[in-house]
Amino acid sequence: VQPPEKPLQAEEWDKLREDFQSPEIFEEVMLNSMIRCNSPIDVAKSLLTHLAKRNGDIAYNILVKYLTLCVQQGQVSEIHDVYDIMKARFKILESGAYSLLIRGLGNSNQWRMALTVLEEVKKIMIPSRTCYESCIKAASRHQEMKLAFELYSEMLAKDVVPTLHVLQSFFDFSRGMKGAELQKELFGVLLYLRENQIYPHRTFMRSIKLWFESLPGGNWRGRLTKIKDSGQCPVCNHQLEDSNLTEEEYSHLSERIIKDVIHGTDTFRKTNPEELEAFQTFVESRLPFDIVIDGLNVSHIKSRKMQCENLFDAVNCLAKKNARLLVLGRKHMLTNSSNWKREIMKEMQSKADFFFAENISEDDPFLLYATLRSGKHCRFVSRDFLRDHKACLSDSLTRHLFRKWQRGHQIVLKKMFSLCFSQQPAFRYDCVVQTTGDTWHIPYKDVFEEKYSYKIPRKWLCIHQK
Amino acid sequence: MQSANMLLRRILRSSVLPFATQHGMKKDLFPLSRTLSLSLCLKQDKSCEPSEKLDLDEWKKVMKSGLQEEVSEMVSEPKELSSLAAARETLEMWRLAGRAVPENISEEQLKTFMECPSKSAKKKYLKYLHLKELYKKNDKRKMDEKRERRLEAQDEDSKTDETKKSPFVCLWSRTMDKAYNWRAAQSMIFGQPLVFDMSYEKEMSVREVSNTVRQIVMSESSNRKSVDPFHIHFCNFKEDSLYHREFIKNYREAWDKVLITVTDQCYTEIFPKDKLIYLTADSPKVMKAFDHDKIYIVGSMVDKSIKRGVSLARAKRLGLETAALPLDKYLLWSTGAKNLTLDQMMHILLTLKDTGDWKKALEFVPKRKYCDIVNKPVKELKKTLDLISTLKLGKGREKVEKQFAKNYPKRYKLK
Repeated sequence: VQPPEKPLQAEEWDKLREDFQSPEIFEEVMLNSMIRCNSPIDVAKSLLTHLAKRNGDIAYNILVKYLTLCVQQGQVSEIHDVYDIMKARFKILESGAYSLLIRGLGNSNQWRMALTVLEEVKKIMIPSRTCYESCIKAASRHQEMKLAFELYSEMLAKDVVPTLHVLQSFFDFSRGMKGAELQKELFGVLLYLRENQIYPHRTFMRSIKLWFESLPGGNWRGRLTKIKDSGQCPVCNHQLEDSNLTEEEYSHLSERIIKDVIHGTDTFRKTNPEELEAFQTFVESRLPFDIVIDGLNVSHIKSRKMQCENLFDAVNCLAKKNARLLVLGRKHMLTNSSNWKREIMKEMQSKADFFFAENISEDDPFLLYATLRSGKHCRFVSRDFLRDHKACLSDSLTRHLFRKWQRGHQIVLKKMFSLCFSQQPAFRYDCVVQTTGDTWHIPYKDVFEEKYSYKIPRKWLCIHQK
Repeated sequence: MQSANMLLRRILRSSVLPFATQHGMKKDLFPLSRTLSLSLCLKQDKSCEPSEKLDLDEWKKVMKSGLQEEVSEMVSEPKELSSLAAARETLEMWRLAGRAVPENISEEQLKTFMECPSKSAKKKYLKYLHLKELYKKNDKRKMDEKRERRLEAQDEDSKTDETKKSPFVCLWSRTMDKAYNWRAAQSMIFGQPLVFDMSYEKEMSVREVSNTVRQIVMSESSNRKSVDPFHIHFCNFKEDSLYHREFIKNYREAWDKVLITVTDQCYTEIFPKDKLIYLTADSPKVMKAFDHDKIYIVGSMVDKSIKRGVSLARAKRLGLETAALPLDKYLLWSTGAKNLTLDQMMHILLTLKDTGDWKKALEFVPKRKYCDIVNKPVKELKKTLDLISTLKLGKGREKVEKQFAKNYPKRYKLK
């Protein structure tokens, strides 16, 4: 329905309502379309007046819709009135109305009201991230950075994940402000990005850069750059953190892999105890390997070729320089078939160690375990993103460790038109926000929506002190 | 005085009020109501130039005039609400906001609601309750309509008053029940055993367990009605488990009279191991034909969050043979998981047992999951399809391949 352009009289509304196909929901539909068309508020008022006259009451959902319209147009006094009416009429409100109120009030000069509403929400439920966002933005817009950071730490304490907008607004609004305390808080935000492996997008990155450069007396300078494969920053020649885990992290991760990924709820789901034991003794007796290959995954790289040929090419390609190879496969590879020729398999077994799992077992967990046990230098070859194995890990901290380790240790073979394979190298440096005190290196995404978790940004912001 | 005032207000709210407010009687009638700041609204009114008679903020007065009653009511109530009452209050507000929330909610359901770990879990649970309520209401409405129709029909019948002649006394359902039970009893002695493995309670949520039990109840009834029923065994059945409670909910008093064998023993303790075959969709082996000498095991499990390899793991642990239905062989699969519900499984097994005809048996696979049933194994069909496409398209082979790879992951490589 098309909302009218001018306020209507009761009779006119009645007529419109009668013409509408289902009169029971006429008001709702009409208000929805008013919200969509951003109609003048008086039109909505006239509808409410008509409703009030007819029924002596206005339903809650209608009030919320009207509130939406008010918030959309920033009609502060109206928002106040609706709030008063709602508060007197209902004991509590629901989350939708609360977040609308907070948003509407936060954008006005009576933004402190939004904080009182937030307090009210807290009594009933955990406020949503958008509620916090409106309040934090309102506070920082009015230069009350201390208050904004209090709210921020409060939402973190409640496990409410802040939006990137919130984080960005901190940098936007504290531009040029002095204070060691504030600076510490903002560095804290950057460390939050680091810990959660979040990459800011381009505009966010720009806010960070401008904030750094605006710091009085800091002499910070930011440059956009790309990091060399060696891990060196071309602007300040600083060497980025390498992607290796510490000993402690290593042992933690390999323990979790065994516990969560291989055993899981039931060892029989992915393997069986005898096989696991056989594999563990096999690995321990031949440690350490340099490269562990997911045999089946590699063998499917070129569909026109025989599977064992693919594997053979890969093994040959990687076997140079006396590297110790381990190929993981399944038992069916040993039976002579059209895809798996016995002679070729024999030849390969002289060049690399092989472990064949049962046909119904999963080989990926073994791959992970063998690589981790071999140590820091060992890498693995697979095109698999290993997301399902990552998902088996029980806590987010271990998952982050896994991702970091995967970035540094996974080699992806790419098929080329010629006969040989090309390797996509594992990253030598760690792609995460990092600092040395007088330098900051911040990886960023080009667009906000870029979401592939396996893709790592190649663009960096380098900030250093002159 | 107070009550008189309220009465007056109630009358006004319904009819006289608009008249009253327009004529400035507000102050005398509502000594408690707040004064409103009209100046701002007046400014806005001018900007928009509505017709002069229209007071745009009148709805506020109406809303506020209704308030005092409620305020006075609220004062008497205790301020702090218990958590349950607070949850009920929140639900009420959600319902007013037009969310999918049930109208009536029991104490127990409210507790379950509060125990939901996340916001989305809460939402889901409420939606489930809401839908359940709707279905119930609809059913009731239909029942009432039916009853009315029946009464009408009876009235007409009594008018005509004509008894139909028939050689049998009309006792069908009871006679049928007797016949079915006779058959089931026979199967308890001579029938081929079919095992339901009841050891999955830990893997399932409460709702999944209740779904499982409903599916088993349905399977049991279709088994009882078949020509040659299985002898159903519930193995690993724990007394007082969630399964047990759900069964009692479904069967009520009849639970002790159902003609099946219920035991807490494992199937490996009752039957020789080499005769057992565990049916699971994850099995690498595909069932070729129905074997009348084997004992098939079906896992009593509904896994909404598809847990791969749970039942296969169980069979592996006990060292049992496994098998999967030859779905890919006879059906051109389109969408959906290959695990079927327990009652579908039962229909398929019963049909196989009676006829041995795969095509007929697999008709019980839901139609939405497959495009077509074929006589020839799909593998051969694919070869011809492949040949046609290579002949037709020449170089377009890869495209075809991709499409097939999407529909038939891994198992069928075009070769």
